[in-house]
Amino acid sequence: MSNENVLFQVEEDEIENAVPEDEGAGSRKHLIFTVDDLKIGIDANQVVEILNVYNATYLPMMPDYIQGIFNMRGQIIPIMDIRLRLGKPPAEERILIVIDYNNNQLGIQVDSVDLMLDIPLESIVPIPSQSPQKLVSGMCTLPDGSGTMLVLDCEQLIAHGYGD
Amino acid sequence: MSNNDILDMYIYETNTLLEQLESIVLDAEKENTFSQDNVNEIFRIMHTIKGSSAMMEFDTLARVSHRIEDMFFLIREGTMSVVKDEDRPALFDVMLHSVDYFREEMEKVEAEQPLNEDVDSFLGNINSLIAKIKGEEIPAEPAPKADAAPAPVPEAAPAAPAPAQTSEGSADFPYGLRVFFDEGCGMENLRAFMLVTSVQGFCADADFTYQPAGVETDSALSEVVIEHGFLLQFRSEADRARAVPIVMTAGSVHSYEEQNYVPAPPPPPAEPAPAAHEAAPAAQKAPSAAPAAQSGAQQHQQGQGQKESLISVGLSKLDQLSAIVGEIVITEAMVTGSPDLKGLHLDAFSKSARQLRKLTDELQDVSMSLRMIPVSNTFQKMNRIVRDMCKKLNKQVKLTLVGENTEVDKTIVDSIGDPIMHMVRNSMDHGIEENAEDRIAAGKDPVGEILLSAQDTGSEVIIQISDDGAGVNDEAVLAKAIRNGIASPDVEYSHKEILNFLMAPGFSTNAQVTEFSGRGVGMDVVKSGVESLGGSVSITSEQGKGMTTIMRIPLTMAIMDGMEVSVGDSIFTIPINNIRSSIKTTEAAILHDSVNGEMVKMLDGYYPVIRARDFYNLPGGAEKIDDGILMWLESGDCSYCLFVDELLGEQQIVVKPLPAYVNNFDIKSCGITGCSILGDGNISIILDAGDLYKATRG
Repeated sequence: MSNENVLFQVEEDEIENAVPEDEGAGSRKHLIFTVDDLKIGIDANQVVEILNVYNATYLPMMPDYIQGIFNMRGQIIPIMDIRLRLGKPPAEERILIVIDYNNNQLGIQVDSVDLMLDIPLESIVPIPSQSPQKLVSGMCTLPDGSGTMLVLDCEQLIAHGYGD
Repeated sequence: MSNNDILDMYIYETNTLLEQLESIVLDAEKENTFSQDNVNEIFRIMHTIKGSSAMMEFDTLARVSHRIEDMFFLIREGTMSVVKDEDRPALFDVMLHSVDYFREEMEKVEAEQPLNEDVDSFLGNINSLIAKIKGEEIPAEPAPKADAAPAPVPEAAPAAPAPAQTSEGSADFPYGLRVFFDEGCGMENLRAFMLVTSVQGFCADADFTYQPAGVETDSALSEVVIEHGFLLQFRSEADRARAVPIVMTAGSVHSYEEQNYVPAPPPPPAEPAPAAHEAAPAAQKAPSAAPAAQSGAQQHQQGQGQKESLISVGLSKLDQLSAIVGEIVITEAMVTGSPDLKGLHLDAFSKSARQLRKLTDELQDVSMSLRMIPVSNTFQKMNRIVRDMCKKLNKQVKLTLVGENTEVDKTIVDSIGDPIMHMVRNSMDHGIEENAEDRIAAGKDPVGEILLSAQDTGSEVIIQISDDGAGVNDEAVLAKAIRNGIASPDVEYSHKEILNFLMAPGFSTNAQVTEFSGRGVGMDVVKSGVESLGGSVSITSEQGKGMTTIMRIPLTMAIMDGMEVSVGDSIFTIPINNIRSSIKTTEAAILHDSVNGEMVKMLDGYYPVIRARDFYNLPGGAEKIDDGILMWLESGDCSYCLFVDELLGEQQIVVKPLPAYVNNFDIKSCGITGCSILGDGNISIILDAGDLYKATRG
């Protein structure tokens, strides 16, 4: 719990630092989180909240990656375990990122939240078509050279309720 | 429900509509055109104002709105292109002028002052605009000066066309009936003469007269009839009353109005009497005195202090309030149940805490009830409509209300008012047979019946409007649908599909346009209104037996009584009205059938047992029947027992819909209809007993 608080501290600093840099139209702030050693980024505009304490209510008859629903100040929000959604083994110690995509709210459980970064839009390249990826719309090399980030495709994430 | 509540509602509704109208007109003026959507919207606003004003017996308001409606009917049919560019400013002027006029009149209604009866010059403006839209010649351009000169304005000042004749005849025949025919129906003179023949059927020649005379032979008089209508004048009021149904059933009649000859027009008090007003004394209509008398009576009954009875508050504020109250309740539980207090004996504290709990409970009850209002107000309004329409249409109908105390969310009540009104009017106008004789011949009670019922099933409100009238004539509907281009003549349609044509925009089976219905706005207003609430409308009808319209509206923000039960860590809420009883029993009482199902014997029969834990694959929960409890549930025609762990208690809950994402997985068909936030912030899942049973059988 305490190291997570530190984490939020860091993140808030990042937000403050990031604001002046956002002048350039060609870049977007992304929140970067880790899922099973993958770095995944999501457009910060779609992030509503990051929670480390939440009380999931089990909802029957749902696929296993839907962990249930929870009450965020009167709003009922479904929780998705992104590990299970990507077909990876489950893990303990999860952080919940609540996203809002076209007024659809969804909580996604991730391993940890890393940092907020400005990503120049032109640096995001499409996924090579011969290796189809689940739920990812693009990828880019992080500006600090620390690795590669996958860009989460929220539309697919939310729309995919129907098919599976 | 006093008259005053109806009046308050009427004023509030009309003012809301006027605001809407004004903003539409103002926006449209900038574009210099009305979009087709705008035209439809204005048409509906005017239709509603016309209907409710007629209901409140504000005849002048109904007349003005009727004319504006007529005008927009033309524009709707021919799109905005029928209005020439040079006429458009006049159109916008008239519309804004009419908003002002209605506002003024609303203020008078509110202040219980008599209304302005002299609307002829205003109607004249509208009529000349209509004439321009139709592309007709305006007779010597008299319209703009109508208020100064006694020059006749078609239809608006009906007695004016031949003042000499009128005053001559009217002394003997004071009860007039002016009939207008449909535009372009042709042979107006002969149609008029047919009316005369019908009237002769019950009324001696000496007891009535008509103008213009000689319609039988002189076809040139068609023009006069088109222009000024055909005036029948009777010696006695009773004869006129008998003539009204004949006129109504006659073909191609567009509208009719009753007018009484008033020998010496009393100068209206508090009003400057313009020349035109005195020139058209016969235009004064008998019922127009009614509202004034009525409002006077109300004043005596109610006295002052009625203005404070209603206050409108934004729904968003109410939502905010209930959200905060919810938080307070949770916080209260956190404070009084704080682990820090364990083991301490704080007498004063626990006393205050009990008091706090009591108050927060009350606060919660009040805040929950704020948004909930009974449908009775809306239902009671229908009494008035049925009564008035009975008189005007000369039908005998009684209205039966069922379940008027059903409480539903305010937004729902607001939105179902119009649809219900349209449906009741439809039933009155088209459903119930024209004559009591027809009903007797069909073996029915001569008095028709309209049943209006509301029912709260726990997951939705069902509003049902049924009449025992003639029902829907499939062939007539289909023929009309084909004529209107909604249906294709080459396709065979089922009974159900034909009924659905009734709800298509612009459809109306009634050949004549009346004050009440007949333009086909009704059914599509109903459909769009209910669908905007996420509900559905269905029509069933059997020819000769009547028609039933069922509106199903989901209870999105509704409160219901539920029983909370637990299964493992999960908490479910079952609507109280589905629960028949709960039974503690033993494993030995469970019987097995051939397909591995379980049953239990209760009172009079055997009922299947469904284990919630197994059906929903819940992670925990009692396995042995002895450790849990059976809930005997009933919904519709299914009756079964649901096995759960424990009863937690009965509670009033606010139903919340499940997130859209979750609904994609079609869990509704598994009996999960919604959820509710419990006092401690946890979520309980609301079960639908019927869907749950179907899911286990399917």
